Amino acid sequence: MAEKYESFEAKDFGWMVAMSILFFVLVAVGFWLEFSTDWGSYQQEFPQLLGHYGKVEDARNFRAGIKQIWIPKIGVTDRCITCHLGYEWASVLPATISKPLKPHPMNDWLAKHEFARFGCTPCHGGDGSATTLAGGHQGGRGWDDPMLSRALAAKYGLTMDEMIQMRCNFCHRHDAATPAMEEINLAKVLFKKKKCQVCHVVEGQGGVTGPDLTYEADRNPELLNFAHVQGPHTMFNWNVQHLTKASAVSPATQMPDFNMKPEESRALTLMLLSWRRLPYPPEYIPDPELAAAAMQPSPTPTATPSPAATPGAR
Amino acid sequence: MGDKIKALWRKISWAWSPESERESSEAIVKNLWLHWFPAKVARVSMDWNYSFWLGTASAALLLILTVTGVMLMFFYVPSTERAYGSIKDLQYAVSFGRLLRNQHRWAAELMVAVVYIHMARVFFTGAYRGTRAINWVVGVVLFLATLLLSFTGYLLPWDQLAFWAITVGTSIAKQAPVVGPTMQFLLLGGHEIGQQTLLRFYVMHVFFLPVLALVLFAYHMWRVRKDGGLAAIERVRDERAMVPKAVPTTKSYSLFGITPGTSVQVMSSTGLEESDQVFSSPNMSRRIALVFLVVFNITLLAALLFNAPLEGLANPSITPNPAKAPWYFVWLQELVASTTFRLGGFTISGGLLGGILLPGFLLAVLTLWPWIDRSPLRTEGRWLPPERRRQNATFAVATLVIIVLIVVGVYLRGPYWRIYWPGQPRPEMPRLY
Repeated sequence: MAEKYESFEAKDFGWMVAMSILFFVLVAVGFWLEFSTDWGSYQQEFPQLLGHYGKVEDARNFRAGIKQIWIPKIGVTDRCITCHLGYEWASVLPATISKPLKPHPMNDWLAKHEFARFGCTPCHGGDGSATTLAGGHQGGRGWDDPMLSRALAAKYGLTMDEMIQMRCNFCHRHDAATPAMEEINLAKVLFKKKKCQVCHVVEGQGGVTGPDLTYEADRNPELLNFAHVQGPHTMFNWNVQHLTKASAVSPATQMPDFNMKPEESRALTLMLLSWRRLPYPPEYIPDPELAAAAMQPSPTPTATPSPAATPGAR
Repeated sequence: MGDKIKALWRKISWAWSPESERESSEAIVKNLWLHWFPAKVARVSMDWNYSFWLGTASAALLLILTVTGVMLMFFYVPSTERAYGSIKDLQYAVSFGRLLRNQHRWAAELMVAVVYIHMARVFFTGAYRGTRAINWVVGVVLFLATLLLSFTGYLLPWDQLAFWAITVGTSIAKQAPVVGPTMQFLLLGGHEIGQQTLLRFYVMHVFFLPVLALVLFAYHMWRVRKDGGLAAIERVRDERAMVPKAVPTTKSYSLFGITPGTSVQVMSSTGLEESDQVFSSPNMSRRIALVFLVVFNITLLAALLFNAPLEGLANPSITPNPAKAPWYFVWLQELVASTTFRLGGFTISGGLLGGILLPGFLLAVLTLWPWIDRSPLRTEGRWLPPERRRQNATFAVATLVIIVLIVVGVYLRGPYWRIYWPGQPRPEMPRLY
């Protein structure tokens, strides 16, 4: 090459090499991060566990990877079972196995709420699409539907099973009473006894003194006044305290102070926060008559159907 | 055998280590991707600390965005029902999906900044004089295209962040006099953000704006070539013109030969000398590759370290408090908010002044600056010459004000658009449970 022209090779070659090395390092880190998942170790452990409890064939057929229950009909893509691998093995695995691999308890209602038809999040909440611990349980920033964990329920003096009844009532809204939903059943009795619909419209029926409660859970929590609410500013707390003593939370309200017991206002709050617009098709909504029959084995149903259960209402 | 391998290696690598001037030229001319470059390039144009290679960095970002964007298109569904879910899938289930989205996101944010800094460099070096004025205007349009590309992409995840940022942005557009409501209607494809808006933004984002940016980018590069290269060479030309050339001892066979006096001579250089230039191949091509590599590494590092934001599903009935425009439009939102004031029961919206008139004025002045600038031509291609002190200071102050407004809007504004200093507790916003 002619000498009269300068070459930048000496200046740039070192940088070129350094940047190329950095490039390969970064790509290697990218691969490493891609394969160091939250679920990898559980998926290694699970087939060994199955083998240990005699399911050698199933252990051999186990394939690692993201697992999901996909139910497009109700918008469910639940990848929870990528970690919670033992969920459907209650007949084989003991309940004493530690957390993510532990089988789902064989509750009575599980026979009617199959995993394949309901998935996980319709009952438990959380972000089903996530494959990370934090992402699935808490959801990211601005995710307002966290998993109903034991810790969350304990904040409101409830057990997890009690708190989940709120989500049961998404579909069981029109049952007069439902087996195993004591909290909601209590709320439904109270709702009639305290004559809430004298002032509040619910599904088109009731007085217009108070606000319409049909989709109470969809309300923007910011539109509520939290100035007089004790404890964390949550819609749950607002409702509990408002039901206990309305004048303490909203001084200008016309709602009377019902002076309910804490468990009563908690039960009513669970019911109110179950009232939202939902994507469930009609076949997912149970027949209210069947639930009433299951509650009372006597052949003649005595309870008169609630106005909410009239045909045409969801 | 060894000779054959050597010959084969030579066939592959000759362009990177040319052994003659002819090979060096052919490495440029015979290459589809490089033939728009000159075979030789001025040394001053190659300087790191003249141009900082910001235009090349912008092109690198455009390439990264195109490649990652096309890959994202294999997964993304532009429907209000599926969009959010497809982003969640990318985030959690698609191999390298999160990395892909992260890199696309951070490259996009970086491109807005790099294109602006590139424009600032051109301003501070006065590199928009004469025929280069056309390229300045093209550059301003390219900057707007970059902003719009970023803005249209912002809506696509269909989460709360996207939905409300676009609500803020398009509401500002509505404040324009006469055409405002029509403009907002055209942007949204209706009266509120919905499926039509998503589809419109998607088509703009993946087709019209990238095509516009690519066509203008090609024209931008062609103009640089036609204008003779970077403005830095004007500085060299001026310097050359000052240095007299040695009078060559030539013979004249015309009548001059027998008359006293000297013949017609070129007394100084009119252009670049050979010593001012280097061969483009491999000097420039190596540097371009290096800039691409650096930019790729930066975006990849950002993608590995930080996740692109993704909030809850878009919900038209619940507004986050505060709802903010994308950061590069937050200064407009800040202006709108601070020019809105209440007189008794009336609220006078700052939308027109802060959202339309002031940014419109700034944009018009920016576009027409080559014809406003009255500084001497010899300041061209020089960093911060004293003759241009006042206009450079004006540009710097305007930029600084915008940066301050952005920082205030992004970091200090909290619920109810109030200022919260770092460390000052922000009110707890109510949640469901």
